[in-house]
Amino acid sequence: MSTTKTKWTVNLKVYRKKGQKAPYYDQFTMEVDPDEYVLDAIERIWAFHDRSLTFRHACHHSTCGACGMLVNGVEKLTCITYIRDVVEDGGTIVIDPLRNFPIISDLVVDMSLFFDRMEMVGQRQVIPIAEEIVGSSQKAQSAGNGKEYLRLSDCIECGMCISACPIAATNPDYLGPAVLAGAQQSGLDKKPELLQIVDQENGLWRCHSAYECTAVCPSNVDPAWRIMDLRRQVTSQRFKRLFR
Amino acid sequence: MSEHADKSGISQAFRWFDPRGRDVGTIAFILNRITALGLTFYLFLHLIVLGQLAKGAEAYDGFLATIRSPIFVFGELLVVAAGLYHGLNGIRVGLTSFGIAVPQQKKLFYWLLAIAVLGSLIFGIRMFTA
Amino acid sequence: MKMIQPTSGPKSGENFWLWFLKIVTGLFIILLLLIHFVVNHFVAEGGLLTYADVVAYYRIPIVPIMEIAFLIFVVSHALIGLRSIILDLRPSRPALTAINWLFTLIGIASVIYGVWLIQVIVSRGSA
Repeated sequence: MSTTKTKWTVNLKVYRKKGQKAPYYDQFTMEVDPDEYVLDAIERIWAFHDRSLTFRHACHHSTCGACGMLVNGVEKLTCITYIRDVVEDGGTIVIDPLRNFPIISDLVVDMSLFFDRMEMVGQRQVIPIAEEIVGSSQKAQSAGNGKEYLRLSDCIECGMCISACPIAATNPDYLGPAVLAGAQQSGLDKKPELLQIVDQENGLWRCHSAYECTAVCPSNVDPAWRIMDLRRQVTSQRFKRLFR
Repeated sequence: MSEHADKSGISQAFRWFDPRGRDVGTIAFILNRITALGLTFYLFLHLIVLGQLAKGAEAYDGFLATIRSPIFVFGELLVVAAGLYHGLNGIRVGLTSFGIAVPQQKKLFYWLLAIAVLGSLIFGIRMFTA
Repeated sequence: MKMIQPTSGPKSGENFWLWFLKIVTGLFIILLLLIHFVVNHFVAEGGLLTYADVVAYYRIPIVPIMEIAFLIFVVSHALIGLRSIILDLRPSRPALTAINWLFTLIGIASVIYGVWLIQVIVSRGSA
């Protein structure tokens, strides 16, 4: 309990939008501990300054994927982003909702289409416990090269990869990194019907290799690598079909 | 201010070229897209201009004399630099698109950028001193 | 699922074969450019800086073939690439159909024009 207690004064510039009204920023000047997380500061705004501020959060330890926002223009899981890392004493933190999703209110975006697409590629929101127990023993845990270990069910569906993707920026029809990564996780070998979902005009071939999905992913899913791996699989399938 | 799905299409195209808060992958993507558009424009300009060859020796040599002015040589250097970058990045994008060297994509980008800059410098020196 | 029906509707958007062709043509462009530089450096020393140089250069039998191949690869790569940039802008179905036709025409016209031009130059060399 001997940590030096410092207090910083920071400004939080928070995106506000209600209904059809024009969006604007509210500014809140507050005292924070730099070792707190950005989400802590946002919660304090709600608790002590403005009860009408809406934002999404739940677990506070990067498991639920609810609190993804733009912090100074970059996609961050606010529950694990230290204030110290994004601002200096006396500085300003700009908080925006995720990009490329419709805004419901303030910092809350509508992710229902994204969640539907995740279900479509076999990444269900809720899995019956019995099924999960049976399935878990069969889950592969390695990248295949025996050296690097990847957990194959890390995606927390925070939507940050879609917010960061330049293709999703102009075309919401594009399935997007998390969905294609989800299909790769589900596996074309186990679910051959996924082929026609990923190998279509708004699927795999739309990625233009900006690698931003992997750059912002808080959970080491590496969606870009999964998209490329899926491309490799589909390409070889295409050629096998051609020469069969 | 943040941008959202209710806006899409051409009104959002400027966001392709906005590197703020982005990683090196976006720099590679932006340069790739700009050089792609530039080279496509040059390709068709080049095809039209080469029509001078059909008009015979005088027309073509006269045309060559005009493009020897520094401003045209500089334009030509831009084409060389764009071509070098686009070609080298194309190798990177092509390889990674088949799942090859994806974890090394950043390192590959720095290398190809260095080669493209160096190559453009060499071309530039040769073009302006020849 | 409700929002995507992969099996219905016209499929004129991005697809595997065009994407693959973009990569293959890109690779050939790089190879041909390399050969082009080597040939230019060793065969036409000092560059192709006059009309006469160009005509003489095209008398080498492999050159017109190489240039026509190069033209086809570059034009297809450019048009497929430009089309995928336009696809990112979410064009309407009619607009996309128009673009498909327009780009096909531009591609064919460019190659015919290029072949004609090369043939003109070759014929002047042999005259």
